[in-house]
Amino acid sequence: MSIIRKTLTLAATLVTSTSLVTASFAQDVKTITIATHYNDEQMAPLTECFRAYETAHPDTKIVFQQAAYGDFLQTILTSRIGGTSPDIYNIYSIWAPQLASAGALAVPPADILDWVKTAYGAGSVGAATIGGQLWGIPTELSVYELIYNKKMLAEAGFTAPPKTWDELHDMAAKISKKNDQGVIERAGYVYGPSVSNAVHVFYAQMYAAGVSPYTEDGNHTNFTSPEAIKILERQAALFSEGITSNTNVVDDISGGTAAMAIMANWNKADFQTAFTTEFDNTIGAAPIPNDGGPAGTMLYSFLWAVDSNSKVQPEAWTLLKWLDTPQNGKPVSCTGDMLNKLGAFSGNLSDLAAMDVKDGFSLPFVEAISSGAAKTQPNIWQASENERTLRGYIEQVWAGTMTATDAMTAADAEITAVLAEQP
Amino acid sequence: MAVAVRKKGGFWGWFSSKTVAPWVLLAPTLLFAVVFFLAPLVYAFYISFTKWDTMTSPVWTGLANYKYVLTTDPVFWQTFWNTLYFAFGSILIGVPLSVVLAYMFTRSRGQVAWRSIYWLPMVTNVVAVAYIWKFVLDDRYGLLNRTLALLGLGAPGWLTSPALAMTTVVLIFVWMQLGQNMLLFSAGLADIDESYYEAARLDGANEPQLFFWITLPLLMPTTLFVLITNFIAGLSYFALMLALTDGTGGPMRSTTVTGLYMYQMAFNDLRMGRASAIAYILFAVILVISLIQLRALRRGGVEAH
Repeated sequence: MSIIRKTLTLAATLVTSTSLVTASFAQDVKTITIATHYNDEQMAPLTECFRAYETAHPDTKIVFQQAAYGDFLQTILTSRIGGTSPDIYNIYSIWAPQLASAGALAVPPADILDWVKTAYGAGSVGAATIGGQLWGIPTELSVYELIYNKKMLAEAGFTAPPKTWDELHDMAAKISKKNDQGVIERAGYVYGPSVSNAVHVFYAQMYAAGVSPYTEDGNHTNFTSPEAIKILERQAALFSEGITSNTNVVDDISGGTAAMAIMANWNKADFQTAFTTEFDNTIGAAPIPNDGGPAGTMLYSFLWAVDSNSKVQPEAWTLLKWLDTPQNGKPVSCTGDMLNKLGAFSGNLSDLAAMDVKDGFSLPFVEAISSGAAKTQPNIWQASENERTLRGYIEQVWAGTMTATDAMTAADAEITAVLAEQP
Repeated sequence: MAVAVRKKGGFWGWFSSKTVAPWVLLAPTLLFAVVFFLAPLVYAFYISFTKWDTMTSPVWTGLANYKYVLTTDPVFWQTFWNTLYFAFGSILIGVPLSVVLAYMFTRSRGQVAWRSIYWLPMVTNVVAVAYIWKFVLDDRYGLLNRTLALLGLGAPGWLTSPALAMTTVVLIFVWMQLGQNMLLFSAGLADIDESYYEAARLDGANEPQLFFWITLPLLMPTTLFVLITNFIAGLSYFALMLALTDGTGGPMRSTTVTGLYMYQMAFNDLRMGRASAIAYILFAVILVISLIQLRALRRGGVEAH
């Protein structure tokens, strides 16, 4: 009987002491939750760094949450309503105005602000800045340039990519071929079904023409400028002349059935997968064709931001700086390493210098960043809504149901009304 | 006996009485309905009179959202006509087709097998359905257009032509719904007494006459149910458009129905107030049309029989 009692007493003591130890341990360990749109496979280099950070900082636990890109903003909002928001987000810069305006983002500490301003390029710092306030640490940087299939151009007798839009038009016309049913089977130039496939291309072409899509104060558009109208009329001509169509999309570049498109650098990984050892011989990049003026294009950025409701804000910023600074003598930071493996660029200048971006495909993009030719996508109010509106009008011009002037006048009126709502 | 009396008069007696017991049994369902249906419904009605982005407190704007949607918004009415086209189109094609097929299959061998085959699309995930049809309907390499090429015919842009895309979506939706409607009509057909047919045959009625003068009138209660449920589903449906067009509702918003527009407005644009106003406008339209259907079909069909 006494043995049973002793055993029970010992068990109770063990349970109690274990609970106390666990409780005190739980109190000391701080959990930092990080949400990104990257999947587990893409996040692998960062996940490895998370574990290394936890080993070096036993009082910290890092939890990763993935949300699909299309649902990312909704996920943030829903989690905030439910009081379960992550501590750190990797957000697209155009989401920042609404999030910042609603007080959802924490202002970075002074040391982080100073560090970002010196360690990152002007374009990416600009993308993370709204109304003069920097809201986080820039991460993935994407730039638009002309992508072309070298072999398809060569087959058509061209040895170099087009420099002007007229050249592009003529080359695309020569390359496009229809099948027996009259469908364009091989397209000289392509757009795509997503909002950015039309709108980002339009913005990039506007920058290439030397005009910003929006006024500097972000309250008005420049869509009715002669340059913008001319860009759209030329795009529409590709459709009306049967050089491209809704059937032919940007994915056809990887499929080898489209010759040219204006696309972002992050597509490199897809091209490498599609063309494997023939990638370098097949896909090239060049500045966006314009009317012979200086090269110009658009860049956009993602950024690490900390939630204003986070209870571990100092620890979150410390972790982010650690992730974005090279560790243990490595040439690139953890974030830079992940972006490099994705075929993407980092806004961090030392990361960008050490990244695998010296190949023929990447160089024109890097050149656009370093020369300042790539301008930051304006962080306008209700950017997603405005871009969807603009896509609707661009499509009308492509289909020939509206003239470029009428469509851009209507888009300007609609979008200006939305911009006026900005607090 | 004494125990039974005590039980009847005590807590258990009260608990198991006809007044209390049904409510107790219904309580979980009622609670669920209040939390997940009634409360959101009331809250959405309130939100429809506010400007709310989910991150800050709602700001009262009165009827501004309704006024904007009905008088200013250039997209709403386009999506509204798209919605009506989709709802009426899927009913006009789908309901007669399912009646005829159900009638044929009730008179054929292997009814169960036929029903199962037609039921399959209904239990297939809508995303899978969308992907399969995207492959079949691809302009250049799709099975359908390649078949048309073999016949020397042209290649319609099933999902890329703004003039054709919504009709394509209607046809896919009809294909998806066919099994469910057929099952309902089959049940309705099984309820029709065979003696009506025997009497009509004795009077010399042929098969088409049996179908039009006996089957269709006696199927009216089922038809009413199918019409109303299909119409309500059609007016609020957008999952197929979302999956087929990667959420864009294109080309040229030709497949953007009001439900999809409302979804984009709420979760992409964070305009919860305006989206709630659209939801209530859609609710009012569904209510009015359903009442008209109910009244018209009852007078002409159900009550007449």
